Amino acid sequence: MKKTLFILYLFLSSFQIGFSQENLFEESFGTLNEMLVDSTKYSFKKAVFSVENAYNYGTLDTIHINHELTKLNTLIIGLLKSRKLEYHEKDSITVNKYASLFTVLNDTIPIKDKNNEDYIYIPYRYDFDDPFGHKDWNSMFVSKLLMTGKGNCHSLPYLYKILAEQIGVDAHLALAPNHVYIKHRNKKDGWYNTELTSGIFPIDAWIMASGYVHLDAIVNGMYMKALNDKETIGVCLIDLAQAYENRFPYHNGDFVLKCSELALQQYPNFSNALLMNIEAKRRQIETFLRKKNAEFPNDISKYPDTVQLFAEIENQIINTHKLGYRKMPEEMYLNWLVSLKEEREKYSNKKINTFNQTTN
Amino acid sequence: MPTLTETEKSMRNKMKIIGLTLLFGLNCSLTFGQVQMPTAPQATRFQQYGNNGLQNPNTVVSVPNPMDIFNGTSDQQRIQKQNQMLIQEVEQNEKLRTEQLNQVNKDIAEYNSNRINYSLPSYGNIESTKYYRNAFDKLNGLNPNDFSVEKATFLIENAYFEEKQNYEDFNKLIIQIGDFLREKMEALGYDQKSNLAKNFMLFKFFSDTLEIESKNLKHLPFKYDFEDYMGIEDWSKMFVSKLLTTAKGQCNSLPRLYLILAEEIGAEAFLSLAPNHSYIRFRDDYDNWYNVELTNGMFTTQTFILQSGYIKSEALQNEIFMQKMSSKQLLSQLLADFAMGYTRKFGYDSFVKEVIDKSLLLDPNSISANMLNSNYLTIKFEYVAKQANINPRNNQELQNIRYFPKMVELLNQVNSQYSQIDNLGYEFMPPKAYEEWLNSLKDEKQKQDSKDLENQFNIKVKQPIKN
Repeated sequence: MKKTLFILYLFLSSFQIGFSQENLFEESFGTLNEMLVDSTKYSFKKAVFSVENAYNYGTLDTIHINHELTKLNTLIIGLLKSRKLEYHEKDSITVNKYASLFTVLNDTIPIKDKNNEDYIYIPYRYDFDDPFGHKDWNSMFVSKLLMTGKGNCHSLPYLYKILAEQIGVDAHLALAPNHVYIKHRNKKDGWYNTELTSGIFPIDAWIMASGYVHLDAIVNGMYMKALNDKETIGVCLIDLAQAYENRFPYHNGDFVLKCSELALQQYPNFSNALLMNIEAKRRQIETFLRKKNAEFPNDISKYPDTVQLFAEIENQIINTHKLGYRKMPEEMYLNWLVSLKEEREKYSNKKINTFNQTTN
Repeated sequence: MPTLTETEKSMRNKMKIIGLTLLFGLNCSLTFGQVQMPTAPQATRFQQYGNNGLQNPNTVVSVPNPMDIFNGTSDQQRIQKQNQMLIQEVEQNEKLRTEQLNQVNKDIAEYNSNRINYSLPSYGNIESTKYYRNAFDKLNGLNPNDFSVEKATFLIENAYFEEKQNYEDFNKLIIQIGDFLREKMEALGYDQKSNLAKNFMLFKFFSDTLEIESKNLKHLPFKYDFEDYMGIEDWSKMFVSKLLTTAKGQCNSLPRLYLILAEEIGAEAFLSLAPNHSYIRFRDDYDNWYNVELTNGMFTTQTFILQSGYIKSEALQNEIFMQKMSSKQLLSQLLADFAMGYTRKFGYDSFVKEVIDKSLLLDPNSISANMLNSNYLTIKFEYVAKQANINPRNNQELQNIRYFPKMVELLNQVNSQYSQIDNLGYEFMPPKAYEEWLNSLKDEKQKQDSKDLENQFNIKVKQPIKN
């Protein structure tokens, strides 16, 4: 009797967890939506951590995160005071900030603490263990990066952007197949790229020549576009949808559809949102058929609802291909990422080298 | 009445004297007292002096501010105060001086502004500019959506040659080549309706030796002219007429001739731009697109063009590079070339601006027209600034333009034009990088890519189009 009660309790409480976590995702969706409705509410930091918190059952250690962010902030400000770049355009204050930020995320820096003791600050590294978050979706997260010092092409640029907004400069996210990097603009060189996974400034040809970027995808802004605030929140919405998908592998597609639709409103040619939207509709068909005790995909043609959804999916797939989306296999992605280090000479932006020539 | 005795008289006199003496004496003592009075404060002041002097013998001459007692009288503060006052005084003087200087500058500016010429001197007085004005009138009369590239090109080149060329001759030559191509297509068994076949024929005409043995006709491939390929020494190097007479051309004249011949044989082909470069794009009958690189007589991949390294994603998003140009955009480009010719022959003046404006009207994102406009505005601004004895390349002197509102307006125009070019995503490609890129076409990989495509075409052009 006691045993059955205990099992019942466990069963109910697990239900409770599932239920409250769904709520957390809804809450995060609400937060992101609010930022879109009222642009004064926009905060990239808040957006990112609300997603990570929802995924982690609301247990995100915000005290630790804020502590780490403050530490980095102090380092950036300290660096900013101690050196000056060979850059003399009107926007040199901003460019100096970009440079400090870049150094803190990429270089080893000797520092002294209050008691004059020497420390070595070790920068963040690229995590080759689980770059796609297959083992643990947390690998994609900034909180994990702050905890372990290792990140990927998702968490590193995100952290960069969070810090940039903290020190009062802008940093635009930009997308490439399976990839996120940073775009800045200065008076001297116009737009340029900052690549955090290998810590260099690559020219656009690096991404263009990857072989997986169709020209049309660049022209219509699917890739390589400096994203504005609304589009960035669109990207966060898809992060939320992906986190949801990882947390609830057997979801019915409704929440993911909601996220992707809102993301597409902000950023119509966003490749991941297009794909998630298709995936969500497929899930809806599956769920519908399961309720009718019918088979997927054989019975799609039997119900008008599923026929319509399926037609939508077909159109969207064609449209996504037309926009220039091509799937990049994961091994290719890693090869391409490494090519930046191997062919540094060919792909690094030599103009931005002024960043390394500093005067003391 | 008793009479006074002698003694009485003398006593009275004495009394009088005493009285007077007393009176005087008192008076004197009183006056003396008044003189003495100030000595009391003198004494205290002396004391202060004395004390201070003893403590700080060097600062005896310090500012006599009695408040010092309360503010503390340490050395440094005293010196500081002193310095502050000195600085204040100097600043005051400086302010006054700059104000006066400003006033003087303003006066000079006002005086000068009446004499400054705010537009570039016109070259209109030169006789041969009339050919350009004539040609511009005719170019303006063209329908931007449907015009003959052949005629437009002839107009542009003939203006440079001061109308010494004959259109009939030019046209006859083009028709001759057209006939040659048509005959050759028939001889090779190409489908005369296929756009791919026509373009492939054209490609061969540019890059291969073609013969019609029955008529004893032979055409050798065109060559790339490395010498002065940007037309810096001689602008006519850019011309189609030069290409036709010497069989050597560059990335401007070769694609231009291609377009003219395509027009002649009814093929569809488009001009497309890359940094410092132009090439041809065409599609086959199934809507697949191809790039023709005429400088090396090869087919190129999109990746090859992107690898030039000077194409920013913003340039693609604004469609300034690698897009097929519409008829309107082509005319805009031709007008920009036309304006370039004028600046090479004469220089920048309001006529150039007129042509640029027309070109920008047809295609606001035209990179050539935007570049020309920024040159024009810069030259104009520098011309105006120099009249006011301001060296526009010297940042310090440049500050002085603030006295000339019109000049500030001009500088703003220059800056906004520069940022417009930045917004378009344009990046300057140095000639050396351009040459290296063009030479990389000779890499094995590019050669292979081109050969593969050519082989495909060889098969495709002989198949009739399926409908």
